[in-house]
Amino acid sequence: MKIELHKKLTHLMETAIYIRDIKGEDFCDIQTLIEKLLEVHQNFYSYSVEELKSFIESTNQKIEFLLQKAEETLTPYEIVKIVRHPQRITLQDILENVYDNYMELGGDKEINLDPAIVCAKAMLIRKVDNELYFHQVMVIGHEKGHGEEYRQGGSAKPWGNEKALRYMKMAETEGIPIHFFIFTPGAYPIEDYPGAAQQIAKNLYYMAGLKVPTISFISEGGSGGAEAIGLTDFRLMAEKGYYSVISPEGAAAIEANLKEGRPPRELVEKCANFLKLTSYDNLKLGTIDRIVPEPPLGARKKDFDFFRRLKVELIKATDEIVLQTKSLKMFRKYVLSKQDSENFKFYVDWDLTEDEREILLENRIKKYRKISKWAVYEPKSIMKSFMEVGHNLSLKVKNEIKYKILKQGQKSFKKFLSELSSESSVILKPVSDPVKTVYNLIVGKKLKPRIGSQYIPEETTPYESPLALEDKTVSCPQGEKYGCPDLWVPDLYGEFCGVCPNCNYHFPLEYTWYLNNIFDKGSIRTFNDEISSTDPLNFAGYSEKLREAKENTGVNSALLSFEAKIGGISLIAVMLIGDFRQGTVGVAEGEKFIRAIEIAKITRRPFLALVHSTGGIRIHEGTLGVIQMPRCTIAVRDYVEAGGLYIVVYDNNSYAGPVASFLGSAPYQFALRSTRLGFAGPRVIRETTGQDVPPDYHSAENALKRGHIQGIWDRRELRKKIFTALLTMGGQNLYYR
Amino acid sequence: MKERLLIANRGEIALRIMEACEELGLDYVAVYTKEDEESLHVRLAKKKVRISDYRDINDLLAVADENKCSLIHPGYGFLSEDYRFARRVEKRERPLIFVGPSWEAIRDLGNKIYLKKLASQLKIPVIPGTTEPIYNEIEAEFKAEELLELLKEEGFEYRSLFIKAAAGGGGMGIEEVKNLEEVRPVFRKIRAYAKRLFGDEGVLIEAKIPVIQHVEVQILGSKKGEYVHFGTRNCTIQSPFKQKRIEIAPGFDFNKNFSLNLQKIESEIIKYSLRLAKNFGYYSLGTWEWLVTPEGKYYLMEVNTRVQVENEISGKISFINNNSVNLIKEQIKVALGERLEYTQEEILFKGTSIELRLIAEDVSQGFQPLSGTITHFKWKPESWLTIRTHVPQDKPYNIPTQFDPNLALAIIYGENFELAKRRAQEFLENLIIEGVTSKGEKLKTNKEYLKEKLEIIYQFLPS
Repeated sequence: MKIELHKKLTHLMETAIYIRDIKGEDFCDIQTLIEKLLEVHQNFYSYSVEELKSFIESTNQKIEFLLQKAEETLTPYEIVKIVRHPQRITLQDILENVYDNYMELGGDKEINLDPAIVCAKAMLIRKVDNELYFHQVMVIGHEKGHGEEYRQGGSAKPWGNEKALRYMKMAETEGIPIHFFIFTPGAYPIEDYPGAAQQIAKNLYYMAGLKVPTISFISEGGSGGAEAIGLTDFRLMAEKGYYSVISPEGAAAIEANLKEGRPPRELVEKCANFLKLTSYDNLKLGTIDRIVPEPPLGARKKDFDFFRRLKVELIKATDEIVLQTKSLKMFRKYVLSKQDSENFKFYVDWDLTEDEREILLENRIKKYRKISKWAVYEPKSIMKSFMEVGHNLSLKVKNEIKYKILKQGQKSFKKFLSELSSESSVILKPVSDPVKTVYNLIVGKKLKPRIGSQYIPEETTPYESPLALEDKTVSCPQGEKYGCPDLWVPDLYGEFCGVCPNCNYHFPLEYTWYLNNIFDKGSIRTFNDEISSTDPLNFAGYSEKLREAKENTGVNSALLSFEAKIGGISLIAVMLIGDFRQGTVGVAEGEKFIRAIEIAKITRRPFLALVHSTGGIRIHEGTLGVIQMPRCTIAVRDYVEAGGLYIVVYDNNSYAGPVASFLGSAPYQFALRSTRLGFAGPRVIRETTGQDVPPDYHSAENALKRGHIQGIWDRRELRKKIFTALLTMGGQNLYYR
Repeated sequence: MKERLLIANRGEIALRIMEACEELGLDYVAVYTKEDEESLHVRLAKKKVRISDYRDINDLLAVADENKCSLIHPGYGFLSEDYRFARRVEKRERPLIFVGPSWEAIRDLGNKIYLKKLASQLKIPVIPGTTEPIYNEIEAEFKAEELLELLKEEGFEYRSLFIKAAAGGGGMGIEEVKNLEEVRPVFRKIRAYAKRLFGDEGVLIEAKIPVIQHVEVQILGSKKGEYVHFGTRNCTIQSPFKQKRIEIAPGFDFNKNFSLNLQKIESEIIKYSLRLAKNFGYYSLGTWEWLVTPEGKYYLMEVNTRVQVENEISGKISFINNNSVNLIKEQIKVALGERLEYTQEEILFKGTSIELRLIAEDVSQGFQPLSGTITHFKWKPESWLTIRTHVPQDKPYNIPTQFDPNLALAIIYGENFELAKRRAQEFLENLIIEGVTSKGEKLKTNKEYLKEKLEIIYQFLPS
């Protein structure tokens, strides 16, 4: 009897401490209550049962009241604290309590054992009336542990994500749904073999085409690390979870322009508010699909009601995705409305046929195409947008006819002709050869072979960079090492393309240089210029910064999309420009990217992404920015699978989100010699891992070594290299093939 | 205000420019490096500044600014054919007059591919070959076949081709092929070499002209569009690395019996050279180099957009109002924007002039340049003899190893070829040039080689 009471008392004490941890010591005199509880706990046996009972009774009421009150006054930053608390539920708890049976699976290769990522084969039992049905699922998620050091708080290392990818593939082979559990503050930012960004991009690209239903559950969704296993058909989110582009502390450090040390606490709390990271905010923004309710102040280890709820939600979500591929909308609604409690009314088979898998993928593309679309700001009249839709439609029809029907016919006819002639030539050889020799004897000249020239004509009037207008010399930064002579600025930024001719050091150049020197003169035509970055989260101070950036650069977003020609080959290109908010990606940039790549797909042109510089996802647009990672990656996969050619060229600083998604997933990626490429910059690495990185950690050479990029290019040869790439890479579906 | 000229060169040419400046009444500033402290051009210069390297543009321009120079003369070698230098001199905030052609001329006419294209457009004969870089071996083989057939049609006995890197020069990345089977492997080799060395895979194919005379035309153009020529020179005597050893003006000996119409060839190469110069809008001194074959064909080979070492022999045989011409003076005057004071008809050609290049080199060891100390350097002064040297005669002189080992130029004049040749032999007989190498051995020079080669001037030689 007394043991029961002791248990209850311990539980009350833990809850009280938990409330204090979340709400702070000043919350409703909680410290006094804890001291009282501690005192009773220590002298437990000196109290009588009655005394204890009444004490527990009253304290319980008090704590219930406090919980209620704490819940009502919950701030976003306190939610972040809940999620980070060691008492928070972990994946291990979910595996034990939600699934009826599970078996953890280890990675292969020595390096693949990342304790921050847990993969398990699990079973869910669905009870319909008196019948039991078994569902196999693959569970992949981050394991934070209840404070264990070696789990790195759920920060997956690149090989952890590689392990996740391996089991995604396995689930696809077995045809079972995957449940992802996201409990990560962010990916572990190291560039190893593979690099963090590289592996996340790989995961995203693969998940974009995963042919099984995928459900994710977000408790702690930290930016890129969350997306690594977050591109799913259905996104559940814990009520007291957070899903954000960056931790509030990180955002505060950026806002305060801190190089070292901790940002002030008020600013952190402010940033947590601005970032709109709670589940209700995210539901409003449309980045998640449903919220799983939690008890006050969040679910902890022993909240079994929550686990039961989660199980129902998981099954329901999976059902919904499966039913979307199978049935009519009416029936689907009816079935789902009956599946609200543990007593399921229907059994839904989670196996998909080949056709249903196609529908699944189509649904996924449609779903992500729609997310965050409401936040796109495009000043345009209804008439004009209507015309545009019509134009796009007719373009699509025209190209379908041109390439799918006419060109295919032409190709097969050509093939037939060449086969015929080669076969006939074998038969006719004894006859034709003597004739040929006689012919050669008389005429004495062979016919000229037809060879396509690989020579691109040089431009006659070179563009003059504004940097080149000063009459002065600069020293090459590597001058001491290689003995480079001082460079005269007009030469350096003119003829040398900003490259030291002695040691090949690349000086940074303005983005207009690329526009003027890579493409054929006068061939650039930009489109979607009017799509403009806005402030969907009402992030304080962001509107002013945006306006300033727009005024200084004269463009509406950090991404330029245009069609252009190189050596006569027409292509669609986008360019992330560093002058506009460090080339960060938000809603406008993502939307422009997707529209551009869609045009490239319809018109069967190659697609080139130039990265002048990118600083990652724009934090001021919160999860609406993060969601551009999966959105754009899906578009990339769609384009590449349709037989396009997608080339990415990096320069200057190329970091974080974009590199870890739609840029990093390109089949052909190249970097200029001066590129610094990676997931997180040296400061973030130092803060998260506590280690300094060597100066060449993010160099293009290292990126090449670990296989992120396929080659390092010289800026002086960029035009020629891209031209060669256009001729030699890519499939048969390009218009000029 | 008196114009001031910066002499961005060393040795003999620096002395010539100094002399010309004094005659024209210009101020000058000479530059020198540590190794050249002993040189005559430093000793004789009234104003001189020490710099780190003759090739250091930043140093040179700093000296020019410091001393308020308004002109800069690059001489020959070093920066004289660096169009970036010429461009920088013209385009900087405090521009200087570059004594030489426009930078575009240096860039474009110095580019063999461009020159070939331009010449072909103007119907000027060039060495048969490709005018675009080739990247593809099938195309290369096809071109090679075409070329070999062309050579056959033109009646060449010995037919072979050069395959060379488009971006190359100075004998690097060039190989001879005699038959069609060799083309592909050699092409691949040269292409790989070109890629590695010059960063560009482009390859050219050109006919090899087996037997030649090397004749060049001296052109002078003013910035006002006036053009004259100062006759031709013959520079067939060259070391195996295509470095000239004996030059003679005029370029042809019309008394030689070659069953060719030499007068016609001379007038035509002059005509073509002037046509190209006018068409390009070239100004300043320039030399158009031609190959002449025993069959009577002639091909434009290259254009030298600078004053040449052998400029003085052309000056010696050209007379205006009975005075021989100083081409360097003319070049500076043109650079200052002056009109030519004479027409082509007023330039009269008289006599023959031979230039001998005295060099410390081991002819038997593949013309290896030597270093050491010159202890005795004496010659008998004659009215027909001009010696151009930066080597002092009054004390021993250490030959710097950084620069080319030219010691002196001997310019000999005679009223006719026979006389000039005899005088040249006489000069070489009387010349005393002695020295020791750093090992203490006797320093070798090319004196005997010059004596021997004097006998075969004006003959067709295998290239």
